[in-house]
Amino acid sequence: MKYEILPWLILFLPLLSVVVITLFTLRSKTVSSLISIGAVVASFILTVIFIHANGFPSTHGVIYTDAKSLNLANETSVNWLTIGNLSVDFGLKLDALSLMMVLIVTGVGGLIHIYSYGYMDEDHSKSRFFAFLSLFTFSMLGIVLANNFLMMFIFWELVGVSSYLLIGFWFEKPSAGDAAKKAFITNRLGDFGFLAGILTFWAMSGTVGFTGLEAWASSGISFGPITMGSGMTLAALLIFCGATGKSAQFPLHVWLPDAMEGPTPVSALIHAATMVAAGVYMLCRTLFLFNAESLHIISYIGGFTALLAALIAVQQNDIKRIIAYSTLSQLGYMVMVVGLNGPTPAMFHLTTHAFFKALLFLSAGSVIIGMHHEQNIWQMGNLRKKMPITFWTFLIGALALSGIPPFAGFYSKDSILAQCLEQKSYLLFGVAVFIAGLTAFYTFRLFFVVFSGKEKSDHAKHAHESPLVMTAPLMILAVFAAIGGFIGVWNDYGSQFIGEHNNWDPLSFTQQLFEPLKSPVAMFIGIGVALAGIFLAFSLYKNAASDPLPAKLGALATWMKNKFYFDELYEATFIRAHDFLAAVADWIDRWILEGAIIGAIRGGTDLSGRALRLAQTGNLQTYTILFVLGVVLLLYFVLGK
Amino acid sequence: MLEISVIGLGLVLLLADLFVPAERRRFVGYAAIVALGVLLVTSLSGNGSCGQFGTAFGGMFVNDALSLFFKQLFIVAVILVLFMAAEFSDKLAEGSVAEYYSLIIFALAGMLFAASSNDFTMLFVSIELITITFYVLVSFQRSKLQSLEAGVKYLILGALSSSFMVFGIALIWGTTGELNFDNLSHFLAQNPEVATSQLFLLGVLLVLVGLGFKIAAFPFQIWAPDVYQGAPTPTTAFLAIGSKAAGFVLLLRVLFTAVPSVTAHWANLLIVISAITILYGNLCAIPQRNLKRLLGYSSIAQAGYLLLGVAALSASGQSALLYYLAGYVFTVMAALFVVTLVMRQLPTEDIGGLAGLNQRSPLLAATLTIAMVSLAGIPPLAGFFGKFLLLKAVIETAQATGNHGYYWLAFIALAGVIISLYYYFGVIRAIYWSKQPADLSPIELSSPARLSIWVCLVGIFWIGIFPNTLLNITNLAAVALGR
Repeated sequence: MKYEILPWLILFLPLLSVVVITLFTLRSKTVSSLISIGAVVASFILTVIFIHANGFPSTHGVIYTDAKSLNLANETSVNWLTIGNLSVDFGLKLDALSLMMVLIVTGVGGLIHIYSYGYMDEDHSKSRFFAFLSLFTFSMLGIVLANNFLMMFIFWELVGVSSYLLIGFWFEKPSAGDAAKKAFITNRLGDFGFLAGILTFWAMSGTVGFTGLEAWASSGISFGPITMGSGMTLAALLIFCGATGKSAQFPLHVWLPDAMEGPTPVSALIHAATMVAAGVYMLCRTLFLFNAESLHIISYIGGFTALLAALIAVQQNDIKRIIAYSTLSQLGYMVMVVGLNGPTPAMFHLTTHAFFKALLFLSAGSVIIGMHHEQNIWQMGNLRKKMPITFWTFLIGALALSGIPPFAGFYSKDSILAQCLEQKSYLLFGVAVFIAGLTAFYTFRLFFVVFSGKEKSDHAKHAHESPLVMTAPLMILAVFAAIGGFIGVWNDYGSQFIGEHNNWDPLSFTQQLFEPLKSPVAMFIGIGVALAGIFLAFSLYKNAASDPLPAKLGALATWMKNKFYFDELYEATFIRAHDFLAAVADWIDRWILEGAIIGAIRGGTDLSGRALRLAQTGNLQTYTILFVLGVVLLLYFVLGK
Repeated sequence: MLEISVIGLGLVLLLADLFVPAERRRFVGYAAIVALGVLLVTSLSGNGSCGQFGTAFGGMFVNDALSLFFKQLFIVAVILVLFMAAEFSDKLAEGSVAEYYSLIIFALAGMLFAASSNDFTMLFVSIELITITFYVLVSFQRSKLQSLEAGVKYLILGALSSSFMVFGIALIWGTTGELNFDNLSHFLAQNPEVATSQLFLLGVLLVLVGLGFKIAAFPFQIWAPDVYQGAPTPTTAFLAIGSKAAGFVLLLRVLFTAVPSVTAHWANLLIVISAITILYGNLCAIPQRNLKRLLGYSSIAQAGYLLLGVAALSASGQSALLYYLAGYVFTVMAALFVVTLVMRQLPTEDIGGLAGLNQRSPLLAATLTIAMVSLAGIPPLAGFFGKFLLLKAVIETAQATGNHGYYWLAFIALAGVIISLYYYFGVIRAIYWSKQPADLSPIELSSPARLSIWVCLVGIFWIGIFPNTLLNITNLAAVALGR
């Protein structure tokens, strides 16, 4: 591999930026933000150079014999620590999967950095914001490039921390602080399972390296049973817990909508394009560990999350929350298709989703800034005239999300539907189609209410277009949201996942363009429901001043609006139980541990200290006597017996 | 030879006192530092006489890996002490700075001899050279009553311990007819009945009394707090490091070269002394408000930790002791350097004087914090790894010999660490979380002071994070001891 130093630079440049900003340039907003932007853009350029030099190396042709003599051509590592028989390398995995993700993190992330320069312009702690942003980029790159579970877990936690810091960035708002805590704690729940899963696999296989684990898993399957079966399923599901937390799957999905309390670029970067994708990425990276049973469960959890979130999204009124629920729903799609043994469609959708969802969030951010921080869509209206660029970019994003050809989302969503049919999972296919219709409906509900009709408030009348530093990233993302479906993304992931087992020829440009025709049923149904959804939204919301839907759906709408009462349910059960336990523990800690035990020890120590001090009178005669007594004592101790 | 050059340097400094005008005296100190730096580099590079291992003067003087380790340690310590003395010079009596420097250098010569001594005569002479210079160094602030009082206390108790030691040496000579360490151990091997005779053991014990006084081990620790508090701060630093280290090198030589057959039976004695020293130092430090006095008690506790390495009676224990000592040099120097710089203008060294230090000088605040944290033994600093090695050695010995006393010792050492956290963090709290900082004027740092503080910091971190280089050296030195 050429230029092996480059991946290390790519990984550590953002960290360097964190260090420089926190230690030296915290006082200068401009310098700090330029350093942070410079770091991520430089990482992006280095990634492009690296890929240009090496192509997308695939695992194709690697022959696994045993864990020692693996072909490690696509890794670069240094030994990090050895404890007992656990040896951990600090290594980077450089294959098609990770390099494409690096491109997304640095590319989309870079655009969001630039956008933030405009969005956060008036914030007095802009430097801190950019330091956190760089910290997040570093951690995310770490997850993507890690070549073993332990390293991935460390960066996984770092991502959790940086997301906590960014959600709670406006910590003077209580709701932001609460949201940050909620996100962090919910994630920790998932991570606990993740860690337990890692330990289980380590105990079974003796290694935490992905390459070693893959060899172990494949040898176990082909050379006879080791410890397969239910143990394997359990361990795999524990690993999946980690993904449930990060990728916000049911039942740990509750943190993501609240996380919208963070600044909008954060929502775009972390809660749409990258961090929430980490769970899906991790599943794809370690797919070889999952057996059929565990995949089955995963696919249903994914499908359920997708459906639930899409239903909730229909009745939300906060512009960011609608997009957040849509993100949940799309993540459910990805997890579902991973469970249907389709990592390629999952990663494909992840990539296009990163483009169009970041675009939607950033456009929403532009709207919010234009509306002077108003987020309720029923206060907006007719912004098409006032914010033309944002209007067009949002429209492209909405079309891509709804799956209208030839936008990016169409291709990836179609590949998911096709995968459902191919696996003969007709129930999930039905669910996926229904969700596709819902998606188009709520997306265009949002679109029509915000951009057409009449101005519903004074703010809407005085809205203004955002500056170029914000609209330029929008336009670039819009281009990718439009063409992302046929520029080779599928080929890249295909070479990783399909090419591993079969002969694999990359599709040509035209083939990519007409790929969906291979599964015409999926394609036509997909387009049909999307158009139906848009039409329904058009007829209901074109000129609506308030939401006509609650009257028609009755109780269901209330349930949707209140997110099916998950927060309340958790409040009444888990949090109540947790508070009770905490109160008991607090009582024990305060009275028994601290009062009785610690108090006695501390008091005793303190008292003996004061008593001993009395010997130190400062009187020389006393000292001399004590000294001689000491000698006598010593002599008696040794010679007196 | 190293020692001759050092004595020569001391004489030159005395002479320089006559010719250099008073306002340039500070530079005399820097010149001495440069000269010592040259010596250090020479000794490190293995040139000159230092590289040749062997004995001289009829076996009285030995040059081996152990002595080389200690000599380098002493020179580094003295360089730092001289830097500190240069900062402190305006508080010393008018026009006497060069004398102060030259006394430090003479004490250094004594320590270098101590590192190489292989004979009871040599041991006594070198110890007296060190101690007598220290009498003067302690009472050097002639205008300050406390300093004089400390000097007198040190003098009287020191004389007492020296007399015990001479008596002990005489008894050893009387019972065996040998003064050389190597010959003595041969003699004992051939005449095992002498090794158990009461008179001979009494002699050895009395020598240990003298050495115990130097390292401030229980029950001979009583002088330490008063003297540490009263002495000029550079002297305090030098006492805590140089004098203590000299005591330890002699203790190691006597116990493991001269009378190894006796030492092997004294495991319990050493365990008890070590444990009580740790507890005494840590417990007494709790109520202290005077920073130097607190460090005095802390140094008693640290002597107890160092004694763990002796009590372990194994090469790994001795190696850990040396390792700990090396980290201790930088840590104590860093702490006392800050004390010197902060307390220069204040009448007392009360902890309250640290209030608001983080605003007055972030570097000093960070340095003192790191020093305290390292003394408490928290990773990744020097103090942690040293304590870890010492405890590891003790546990290993416990497993090898089955003596349960060692487990108790390890337990007490850990308890001591926990107690010490209380008062070390009290210092840190005083820096950052004091209520009403009276004075927030920034503290000016001269560039030599800044340099030496950075040297200490780098030392603390380097020893804690990259232990292997130093560990190789200390292992070699420990092997030399058991020859």
